[in-house]
Amino acid sequence: MIRPVRVATRALVAIALAMTFLVGASTSAHATVYAQIEGTGSTWSELIVQQWIADVDANGMKVVYTGGGSTKGRKDFSQDSTDFAISEIPYQGTDERGQADTSNGREFAYLPIVAGGTAFTYQLKIGNDLVRNLRLSGETLAKIFTNQITNWNDPAIAKDNNGRKFPSLPVIPVVRSDGSGTTAQFTTWMDKQYPNIWRPYFGQAGLTSYYPKKGDRMVSQAGSDQVMNTIKGFAGNGMIGYVEYSYPINANYPVVKVENKAGYFVEPTQYNTAVALTKAKINQDKSSQLYLTQILDGVYSNPDPRAYPISSYSYMIIPTGAQDPRMSTAKRQTLADFMYYSLCAGQTKAGAYGYSSLPLNLVQAGFQQLAKLKTADPKVDLTDRDVRSCNNPTFDGKNLNKNVLAETAPQPAACDKVGAGPCGTDTGTGKPSTDDNTAGNGGATGGTGGGQGGGVDTGGTGQAPGSDTPPSVDPETGAVTGGDTTTTTTGDAIYANPTELVAGRTSDQRTFGWLAVLELLALVLLPGLYVATLRRRRGQTGARS
Amino acid sequence: MTTLPIQDASAAEVHPRKISRKATGADKVFVSSIRVVGSVVLVITGGVGVFLGWQALPTLRHYGFGFFTEAAWQPEADVVGIAAVLTGTVLVAMVAMSIAFPLALITALYISEYAPARMRSVLVSLVDLMAAVPSIIWGLWGSYLIMEHAAGLAMWLDRNLGFIPFFQVKDADPNAGVPMLSRYSFSMFVAGIAVAMMVLPMACAVMRQVFSQTPQGEKEAALALGATRWGMVRSVVLPFGRGGIIGGAMLGLGRALGETIAVLLILSPSFEVKPRILEIGGNTVSALIAGRFGDASSSQLSALLAAGFVLFLITLVVNTIAATIVNRSRSGAGTDA
Repeated sequence: MIRPVRVATRALVAIALAMTFLVGASTSAHATVYAQIEGTGSTWSELIVQQWIADVDANGMKVVYTGGGSTKGRKDFSQDSTDFAISEIPYQGTDERGQADTSNGREFAYLPIVAGGTAFTYQLKIGNDLVRNLRLSGETLAKIFTNQITNWNDPAIAKDNNGRKFPSLPVIPVVRSDGSGTTAQFTTWMDKQYPNIWRPYFGQAGLTSYYPKKGDRMVSQAGSDQVMNTIKGFAGNGMIGYVEYSYPINANYPVVKVENKAGYFVEPTQYNTAVALTKAKINQDKSSQLYLTQILDGVYSNPDPRAYPISSYSYMIIPTGAQDPRMSTAKRQTLADFMYYSLCAGQTKAGAYGYSSLPLNLVQAGFQQLAKLKTADPKVDLTDRDVRSCNNPTFDGKNLNKNVLAETAPQPAACDKVGAGPCGTDTGTGKPSTDDNTAGNGGATGGTGGGQGGGVDTGGTGQAPGSDTPPSVDPETGAVTGGDTTTTTTGDAIYANPTELVAGRTSDQRTFGWLAVLELLALVLLPGLYVATLRRRRGQTGARS
Repeated sequence: MTTLPIQDASAAEVHPRKISRKATGADKVFVSSIRVVGSVVLVITGGVGVFLGWQALPTLRHYGFGFFTEAAWQPEADVVGIAAVLTGTVLVAMVAMSIAFPLALITALYISEYAPARMRSVLVSLVDLMAAVPSIIWGLWGSYLIMEHAAGLAMWLDRNLGFIPFFQVKDADPNAGVPMLSRYSFSMFVAGIAVAMMVLPMACAVMRQVFSQTPQGEKEAALALGATRWGMVRSVVLPFGRGGIIGGAMLGLGRALGETIAVLLILSPSFEVKPRILEIGGNTVSALIAGRFGDASSSQLSALLAAGFVLFLITLVVNTIAATIVNRSRSGAGTDA
């Protein structure tokens, strides 16, 4: 017994020694001193922030970010319990609950970190096939989330999908139960665009961070990840919810193509979000506390056919006070370097994760906001920080006023227009639906699906979407009898043939119910009884012999 | 053979030695320090109660008795009440107990009376291991593994026993071709299953302890009189351990009432007084506090703490009753042994 123990101790000591050397080496390699910084807030932008955190970790920067919702982020920051917060909306002064929503006197600045689109993800099955190319107008969406449209066979939904019908299935909206910036962005959009639908439901005007859950059908969940999990869960058929586009991309789930002002149904890809946000009005008043915050009215009504209407920026709230109780030189340095990475190199990752890169002017302004950290503490080192050296996909190295991402954004496919299509392209892949770069529509969709879908049967039938006839449905079993019965979710659109099936006869219910109870009892009791009788019989024979 | 010392009879002033019950020296130090440590526990518990009560006072004063009868929790509309969360708490605890109690009782009986001696310690540590699993794990287990199957069971219950109000599910047809599974998930029933798994080891440990204290003589007497093993258990072990069974169950109930994270993960919060445990939605006091604490303002915090105060009192009462019953049974009052 002694030898293995000794060997184990020796190994442990060796590992410990190696660790100290490693740590020593990594600390000595850096001239700058970092300290761990902590933040809470938005789950909307959490996925990309966590990626950035993982990226900078190798450089010795320790950043801890926990979601919990924008409201929690703002509150934690105001109570001095975090070093930074991430929020979709600025401090509201007084929130919709009549409570104070301020920084509590803590000095701060807003800093845009990433752009993105609030997407609507859903689980809608026809037979066993997941619908992946649903399109909805803003009005239909607003009606769904205010309990006015309650079934997927609603004519308004069929109309948005150019006459394509969906099965009779209740619509179950999934909303956030916690104070959420995603809810705030979504309700701002409804309040601005569809006040006649939103305000009677909400009972007042304006946005809210707490979605007013009404009625029995709605499901509420805390955090974007929980909303996504619920929708893609086993009970998700018929559910629709709102999360940042990155969540459905991550889960390989479809999103709704939302109709924009130009009459096209678009998906919140990085291109469509970037195009839409070219019309965002940014507060340019440097003396204002709301400097750099967004007014999105222009985004909602952006006439560009490529624009995704519910696009927005996410903001970090950084402490700028010289006497800030939580900050030290090392922490400020960590925050500044973390954000330098995020605003520059980090932006290249935005597209792949379902976000969109910041344009140049916001990155520049963000650098100016970061400079306030140096104003607060002159020991913070901010040398060598030039926007031009940033490897950001929206920048044009020669002309700094151009937004490359918005300019190269492809035009939407013709089948995405109102009254055409619907396109058979999958959504939720991060790839734009467009007619560019290929001749045929069907060919293009096959390619896209194959690139992203992994193990999914890509089909690649090359059929013109919308041309095939719906397969017939067996009226007794509900199974699809004619046509292609394999589970293909790509290539071409799935059509519903709404058939109402008669449920079981009510007269049988009670009988079969009791039968089931009896069977259950028998299952539990019979083996024991059998063993008991066997034993008794054996005992009797044993006694006789 | 001891020889007594010869007493000097002439010594006139003989006094019996004074016997003091007062501890001296090291004993004194020990007694007083133990007393301090013991009273610290009381002070902490009392402090929690006083703190909660103090914080809850403004809320209780503001809403009055309506705080206990109002179902909605809408601080923004100045409507706050705990009727819905209290019923939810009780229902989740009831579901948990109706699953955990028979399981715990049978497990404890098996371990203490039937299991072979070699297996006994393994079984005991396995049950204890269940208690060591963090509640968030039980929550994940409930929501990802169990919920799907529980929804099927819930549908079956609704189909066959739907005439009982507990098993009713509104707005859902269990016989539909494509059933609306979402109506049967995220329910108090599923939350109760997860909580049951956390209650089980605790209740089982208490019951097992009491069963193992059954006097060996009485057990052997019963067997000698010709009782079967089950007859012995029924006539000796169960009557002797009655206090332990009730006490263990109530200790488990105390835990079930306060269980938080697992419930928070599973339930879709809604504020409605309803007996329909299979239906989506519901809330418990502790899940409400955990869910709303993060972004609560000071007045909302007071309302949450008021709800917590009520929960504190309920669990305190339940646990005190449980402790009394367990203590009484430990002295063997149930039998003549």
